Amino acid sequence: MTPDTPLTPAEDDEALAAELVLGLLEGEAAEAAMARLTQDPGFARAVRGWQERLAGLAEGLTPVMAPARARQAIRERLGHARAPLTIDPNARAAWWRGPAGWLAGLLAVAATLALLWLPGQPGPEAPMAPGAPVYQAQLSGADAVLRAAARIEGRDMRIALESGAAPEGRDWEVWWIGSEDATPVSMGVMPRDGEMRMTLPEGMEPSPLVRLALSDEPAGGSPTGQATGPVMAIAALTAL
Amino acid sequence: MTDARRSDLENLISRVALGDRAAFDALYDATSAKLHAVCLSVLKDRPEAEETLQEVYIRVWQGAARYAANGLSPMTWLITIARNRSIDRLRARSARPVTAPEDAAAQVASGDPSPESATIAAQERRMLHECLAQLAAPQAGAVRAVYLEGFSYADLAEREGLPINTVRSWLRRSLLRLKDCVTQ
Repeated sequence: MTPDTPLTPAEDDEALAAELVLGLLEGEAAEAAMARLTQDPGFARAVRGWQERLAGLAEGLTPVMAPARARQAIRERLGHARAPLTIDPNARAAWWRGPAGWLAGLLAVAATLALLWLPGQPGPEAPMAPGAPVYQAQLSGADAVLRAAARIEGRDMRIALESGAAPEGRDWEVWWIGSEDATPVSMGVMPRDGEMRMTLPEGMEPSPLVRLALSDEPAGGSPTGQATGPVMAIAALTAL
Repeated sequence: MTDARRSDLENLISRVALGDRAAFDALYDATSAKLHAVCLSVLKDRPEAEETLQEVYIRVWQGAARYAANGLSPMTWLITIARNRSIDRLRARSARPVTAPEDAAAQVASGDPSPESATIAAQERRMLHECLAQLAAPQAGAVRAVYLEGFSYADLAEREGLPINTVRSWLRRSLLRLKDCVTQ
């Protein structure tokens, strides 16, 4: 295959499958390829092959944790959780006084009891199991103005800025560095007030090898998901 | 991706298909940082990436029951959803984009037994980076820009200062060379 010879029909089909997966086709060409996908098993197989092959490119991306509110929003949108304060406390009709209310009340009590009694099924706000390992990290900048404290109990992590907020138009981004040569994982942007709280996902195991770092990024965090600014503070976890 | 991780994810997806919220939470924990990175890579905007990530997991919840039929490995299925949603959003202002849907292969009978194609896919995945390195730098860069940043032919033509047809021709050839390399 040199740049001058035309593609064979088989090569042309392969290239078309790749273009469809990549989203490079437009208009009629795109519609024709989509139609072919539903009718031609060989073409569908080629498309699947390209989806697998190219997904490898994404596997090389540095993971970036989404803020906890993203998960909450998904739960709300799927009806798995209620938004805080969606019940109007001033609503006039006291529905719980009717028979349906009694039934709902009984069910709620039963559900609560089930939650309390079933072993290994803690509620979402269950207190930390006693004996869960506790770690902390004190991060401070070279100028000693920037200071932040992190605490991890079990899989629950909190981090808060104690002093030294980022300048206007900048943010400190929090990174988790799993080991000496691990790629840093973004945990999100350090809030200017209050603390950031998250549940550590599987694969992010607290240990004394783990370091937390703050980098200087544009407001809202690194637009690419990779640290772009200098590291302002870094500290290893210490077991308590 | 190891076989153990693959079967863990498949197990979670099959439980999600049955409406298991704990499995959905576990799947989110295991994969959301990677999928968020995909959204961010294409959109380069944190709030938009976060919003897109929500759409991705809603689609995962709704589409999990059809996952088994599509013959894709679990990470490919998830990454493809995240990338397609991100590119839809990226191009929402202009013409409607068309990317092969994540359940493309489910639309016609799958010819390959799934485990075998999974092994082949894993081998190709290992070769991918090596083979990209064998392409000339602009070509490898173009493949990455198209997949990871949602470049169109017009974007590539502008970046390279070449006519669209020229860019299209060399990208198609680069992709074929890449496939020959990873499948050899």
